Amino acid sequence: MSALTRSLRSPRVLIALVMILCILCCAVFAGWIAPNDPGDQNLLSILVPPVWAAGGDPAFPFGTDSLGRDVLSRLIYGARTAMLVAFFASLGAMIIGTVLAHISGYFGGTVDWIIGRLVDVWMSFPPVILSLILMVGLGVGLDRVILAIILVDWTRFCRVLRSEVLVVTRHDYVAAARLLGFTHWQAIAREVLPATLPLLITLMSLEMAIAVIVEAILSFVGLGVGANQPAWGQMIADARQYVYQSPWNLLLPALAIFFTVTAFNLLGDGLRRTLDVRLSESGR
Amino acid sequence: MFALQAIDLTVTAQIDGRPVPAIRALSFDLRPGKILGLVGESGAGKSMVGRAIAQLLPPGFAVAAGSLLFEGADLVQMPPSRRRALLGRAIGFIPQQPMTALNPVMTVGAQFDEHLARLGKGGRAERRQRAIAALAAAHLHDAGGLLGRYPHQLSGGMLQRVLIALAFSSNPRLVIADEPTTALDVTIHPPILRLIAEMQREHSTAVIFITHDLRLAAQLCDQVVVMYAGRAIESGPARSILSRPGHPYTRCLQLANPTMHDEQRALYVIPDQMPSLRQLQKIPGCHFAPRCPLVEKRCRSADPPDVAIGADHRVACIRAADASNIVASSGETAAPEISARIVLQVENLQKRYSIGDALFGGARIVDALKDASFSIAENEFVAIVGESGSGKSTVAKLLVGLEPPSGGRILLNGEDLNDPSSRGRVRRAASVQMVFQDPQSALNPRRRVASIITQAMEAGSRHATWDERLARTKELLAEVGLSADFAARLPGQLSGGQRQRVNIARALCNIPKLLIADEIVSGLDVSIQAQLLNLLARLRSELGFGMLFISHDLSVVRHLCSRVLVMYRGEIVEQGPIGTVFSDPKHPHTRALVSSVPPDDPREPWPALKLALAEERAKIWR
Repeated sequence: MSALTRSLRSPRVLIALVMILCILCCAVFAGWIAPNDPGDQNLLSILVPPVWAAGGDPAFPFGTDSLGRDVLSRLIYGARTAMLVAFFASLGAMIIGTVLAHISGYFGGTVDWIIGRLVDVWMSFPPVILSLILMVGLGVGLDRVILAIILVDWTRFCRVLRSEVLVVTRHDYVAAARLLGFTHWQAIAREVLPATLPLLITLMSLEMAIAVIVEAILSFVGLGVGANQPAWGQMIADARQYVYQSPWNLLLPALAIFFTVTAFNLLGDGLRRTLDVRLSESGR
Repeated sequence: MFALQAIDLTVTAQIDGRPVPAIRALSFDLRPGKILGLVGESGAGKSMVGRAIAQLLPPGFAVAAGSLLFEGADLVQMPPSRRRALLGRAIGFIPQQPMTALNPVMTVGAQFDEHLARLGKGGRAERRQRAIAALAAAHLHDAGGLLGRYPHQLSGGMLQRVLIALAFSSNPRLVIADEPTTALDVTIHPPILRLIAEMQREHSTAVIFITHDLRLAAQLCDQVVVMYAGRAIESGPARSILSRPGHPYTRCLQLANPTMHDEQRALYVIPDQMPSLRQLQKIPGCHFAPRCPLVEKRCRSADPPDVAIGADHRVACIRAADASNIVASSGETAAPEISARIVLQVENLQKRYSIGDALFGGARIVDALKDASFSIAENEFVAIVGESGSGKSTVAKLLVGLEPPSGGRILLNGEDLNDPSSRGRVRRAASVQMVFQDPQSALNPRRRVASIITQAMEAGSRHATWDERLARTKELLAEVGLSADFAARLPGQLSGGQRQRVNIARALCNIPKLLIADEIVSGLDVSIQAQLLNLLARLRSELGFGMLFISHDLSVVRHLCSRVLVMYRGEIVEQGPIGTVFSDPKHPHTRALVSSVPPDDPREPWPALKLALAEERAKIWR
């Protein structure tokens, strides 16, 4: 049974994939699903409660915020922001981290020392502060958020993967490939990378969860995607002032973040259990 | 009264929800002060006996029937608290891996003290005296200083002595030694065995000695039980089993083992391998029948009964009388003419490592290889023997180019191999190949066999088509004696011997001039080893490559190679034709190596077991 079919049989992975699919649908089809324009301000109906609360308006199923914008539509468009950040930030961090980890672990020696110290120095900055400083320097915007997260989080991939690369590189089959005439790059790409891929996929799904949280934090402090683009962190920040009048405005985006992060963590955990050779072999 | 008596002991394993016997109706008697050898290849169930005594069976295994009487009390039936009181006190254990048997974060002294405290032996000072006395009795020098040391500061041989001292410190009536020398260097084997024998005599302890080596068992043990697939197929006095084996398996095993002293003879090849527990269910009748040269129709219908063929000598075979007629067919091993043309010439090869932190100081230079010079002719098999850490594997790494030499030259057909350009590397890849020691680690678990053995065809800028590769796969599989349907398998689906064949096939893909084989048969059972040795000899006559065969097993080396290099601490201390070097060793280390091989004839004394103590002590304290 291949690793892929094995992971698809794991209930964790299945549940997580269904959850992520829901969020993805919201993100992709936001224009069709959302009942209102997320930026439309109805100053006549501000802070309308959700339909299930007293005084709700069916036109705004989840109510409106302090500027009269539809909360449901903003949540759906917010999913688009969250998914874009989650995917591209983790992809970028994965690429930088993976390349450096393979170079570091495979060649060892001085290269390994330099990359290792670079990661050490990088990781000694508190990640949120570092991303805030980066955002101040880079300015707001979706692409800047993604860049900031990549620049902060590549170290996570680098450090974890490097030790895995070290273990794989010590196997005789990597040496054997070199003896058969493989170049270093061929040996890394065809012998080492396939063995580190399961860990890489697992890390990437966990990194997506982290990226969603970091994006929410940055948007919360107003250094995120920018005012014209709906984001969950921003919605929480807006709702903070009116938390006593309309608690739902704060709870709903928080729930959306919780739902997304849980989905990615569940996926990561499920993949780790099914893809990790050591775990799955001992269970067989 | 017996020290240990097994009566129809049956251990079953749960396979696919059904119980399958892993040990079938095993019976033996062990008298106090005697040594019983349990001999068999891996999977025979010999270690399971030791585990059954300690009640440390792996998950899914259980004693289903029979009894194990320790001085009359059944270890299987007795309450766990009573059994725990016996283990470690009346019953001692000597482990297979001394390096991992002690707690690495506690000193030897603390662990010894803990053990003695558990036995309830006096106060702290008295326990210390007892520990020192026990270590001194195990011929460990400076026992007092040793107590303050940590396990990693001791060599494997010293650790095994500590563990033997520990096992005997409680005056046990029974000691179980599970392959106590397998993990150690060959030159340490005789002194460790001698120590076990000495302690056993001194304390008149009964010992169960578990081993895969028939010759060694014959030298050390009084009684021997040969096991195959969970059944005792032959049991009796050690010497009579080796001189007159009654079971075809025992006889074949004996013939599959290369000899150290007799005339060179062909190795007997037992086809296939020991059936796994799952396969066992499908074999009716005698479990050895599918591999047996004497098999008849009635062998396959019923399990053979035990027959007595001598005093106390019992065999589970209906054709016991004919077992001695089995002979190894000669023919395949006619050694080809070795041409005078030199393929490999190594001149003053050196390798230095710097150990420690180069940046913050404390680095120290270690000479892994000092001035090695030798040559290999076309078609010639040359062996390197030596202990671990003698520099054998360093030579291999330098020759194949996994590491650059610190000095000296490697000439292949007259051309210097240490040309760092990519052209030089490609040339080297085409002419020098290596077969790795550990087939588990040497085969990428994600590639299929076809992709592994034709891996050379995807190297560099060459892009062979898949059809070309499949065609070559077919040829190579036939060459190493595997059927064509192996091409689609993954390494995880192969047995150890099959993996090593794939490993060899991969090295042969480009038809190299020189093959470097690093301990390629050391982890394998005798019958699989014989198959591979015969395969290498056949491949040489077909393909005509030279080989550098690295090994610690002198009888294997003697069988396969014509010349030998003896390495000791990074130096080649002796080299020459095998007959000369082994029959008249000049260097003390060569002498130690040669004497560490037990003689083939069990009646012949093994001088190494009777070594003078002083010499023995000098050896450990090298």
